[in-house]
Amino acid sequence: MQLLQALIDGLLIGGVYAVISIGLTLVFGVVGIINFAQSQFLMVGMFIAFFAWKFLGLDPLFGAVLAFAGVFVLGALIQKYLISRVLKAPEVSQIFLTVGLLIVLENLALIVFGSEFRSVQTAYQTSAWRLGGLMFNVPYVAAFAVSAVTGLLIWWVLKKTWWGWAVRATSQDVMAAQLVGISPARVHQMAFGLGVGLTALGGSIILPYLTVSPTIGDQFGVLMFTVVVLGGLGNILGAVVGGLAVGMIQSISSLVMPIQLQNLALFLIFILVLAVRPEGLLKKAS
Amino acid sequence: MTTKNFPGYFRWLLLLLVLAIFPWFLKDQGYAIRVLILVMLFAAMAQSWNIVGGLANQISLGHAAFFGIGTYTSTILLIRFGISPWLGMLAAMLVAALAGAILSIPTMRLRGHYFALATLAFGEVMRAIANTWTSLTGGPVGISVPFSQPSLSLMQFKSSLPYYYIMLGALVITTVIFILISRSKLGYRLRAVKANPEAAEVIGVNTVRTKVMAAVISAALMGACGTLYAQFNFFFDPDTAFSLTGVSIRVALICIIGGIGTAAGPIIGAFFIIPVEELFNDLLSGQAAGVSQLGYGLILIAIILIEPHGISALLERGKKMWKGKRYV
Repeated sequence: MQLLQALIDGLLIGGVYAVISIGLTLVFGVVGIINFAQSQFLMVGMFIAFFAWKFLGLDPLFGAVLAFAGVFVLGALIQKYLISRVLKAPEVSQIFLTVGLLIVLENLALIVFGSEFRSVQTAYQTSAWRLGGLMFNVPYVAAFAVSAVTGLLIWWVLKKTWWGWAVRATSQDVMAAQLVGISPARVHQMAFGLGVGLTALGGSIILPYLTVSPTIGDQFGVLMFTVVVLGGLGNILGAVVGGLAVGMIQSISSLVMPIQLQNLALFLIFILVLAVRPEGLLKKAS
Repeated sequence: MTTKNFPGYFRWLLLLLVLAIFPWFLKDQGYAIRVLILVMLFAAMAQSWNIVGGLANQISLGHAAFFGIGTYTSTILLIRFGISPWLGMLAAMLVAALAGAILSIPTMRLRGHYFALATLAFGEVMRAIANTWTSLTGGPVGISVPFSQPSLSLMQFKSSLPYYYIMLGALVITTVIFILISRSKLGYRLRAVKANPEAAEVIGVNTVRTKVMAAVISAALMGACGTLYAQFNFFFDPDTAFSLTGVSIRVALICIIGGIGTAAGPIIGAFFIIPVEELFNDLLSGQAAGVSQLGYGLILIAIILIEPHGISALLERGKKMWKGKRYV
């Protein structure tokens, strides 16, 4: 029963991890860089949702829309003015540009908001549904539901719209995409905006059960990379599977080991997967 | 050694002489000499990073792991068994080298972004372990080097001068090792791996062994620097010793600013970034914790966008432009 409960919690939390990580994998798949600052956009999203709650009285689940929109614009601008300039540069430049972004965003938040932890109060925060002997935490369920809807929306956009078609074309072959009239620069801006926006959205919907502080991104950085590497970098379906898997690994491992070591387990999985199958677990002999 | 090389050696000797005499003109135990000590230490650390990051172009974001191992190994040996930090430093180098070798197993076939990711995770693993394994490390509250009477064998001094010369020694040793490696067969193999790993393999370079050797040497030197830091600073905790921004990113940034892959790069970079950082901290005197770090990130972004080959390349460019104008 305890194990089943852990599985359910893990699955619900993992749904959010999936949405957060789709953003990271999308940026890599389309723009071709690993955004080391990705988890800082989660922090920015959490702050937007927090202030939307505080000043507008908006529930974080709806504030998520604001967080997405705000960070989308921020991301598109960063792509246009910063990232685009290193796309053809050596990898060192690409790595350290986003590492620089990580430092700037985190410390800007530290200066502006201070280092204290903030949290929101919602009516459903501590409530849970009981079914048989199992417990469904309402904030988990709500976050999972929003994640699922968002995931479906993303799938629809990428598969069914002209824009999604352009994104997929660009990620496969930039030159060919250009020949059929797609502007890779525009697609990159949209993809980067969408990628960090999704992560920000994920940050907002976990706000009901977590606190936000400028350094919250550090807790999610390696987690996101683990999810993405598990599923294969650039593989969106992989990020979904990886997210659910990491959520369940985390909650099951919490049954047997202390919280700090939980992250250790994740790190080890991450390094192992990188070493053995850098292309991810999903891409099996294809 | 043709005569053509002579001015190069001469310049190094001159620099060494200046650095050796310079502290005599400073107030002992003053602020300036403290900053200089940190400059030397970080230059030495960056030089160690440069062996892997510069020569082989394997961008490590996890060198704090080896640094932290160095700080804890010698300090724990000193506290528990009263072992001299000089011997502790050797032990630190051994443990760090071992960690470097172990990390090489999963990472030796990785490149670029993947390598950076894996090393970053390794540094974070070590930080988590140091924070959790309280019975060994003292956990998040940190650990102090026991204070004793000034003694050479315990690497504790009343004046700052001995620390200065120890750090200078570390900088000289790491720089000499870097130059020796870059001119040795290993150096040529590393550059071959950097330029084209497949081609290197084809012409008979054992790319795996080459990379592992560089990684192990780099890790060992970083471990020694960790011990020196512990003895100089007396106190540290897991979050500073294994810090991502404070150590891993900082040493890489120093190399990038000074000129990645060159022997002078880490020295130029450290002489630029450490004083700037101290100045920031001094001006703001801790009013806003994030400001100096923010400046740091901005400098990193600026240098990447303006001149990814560092200050020396920037100066070179400036010189050319100036000369160009004269002829036009």
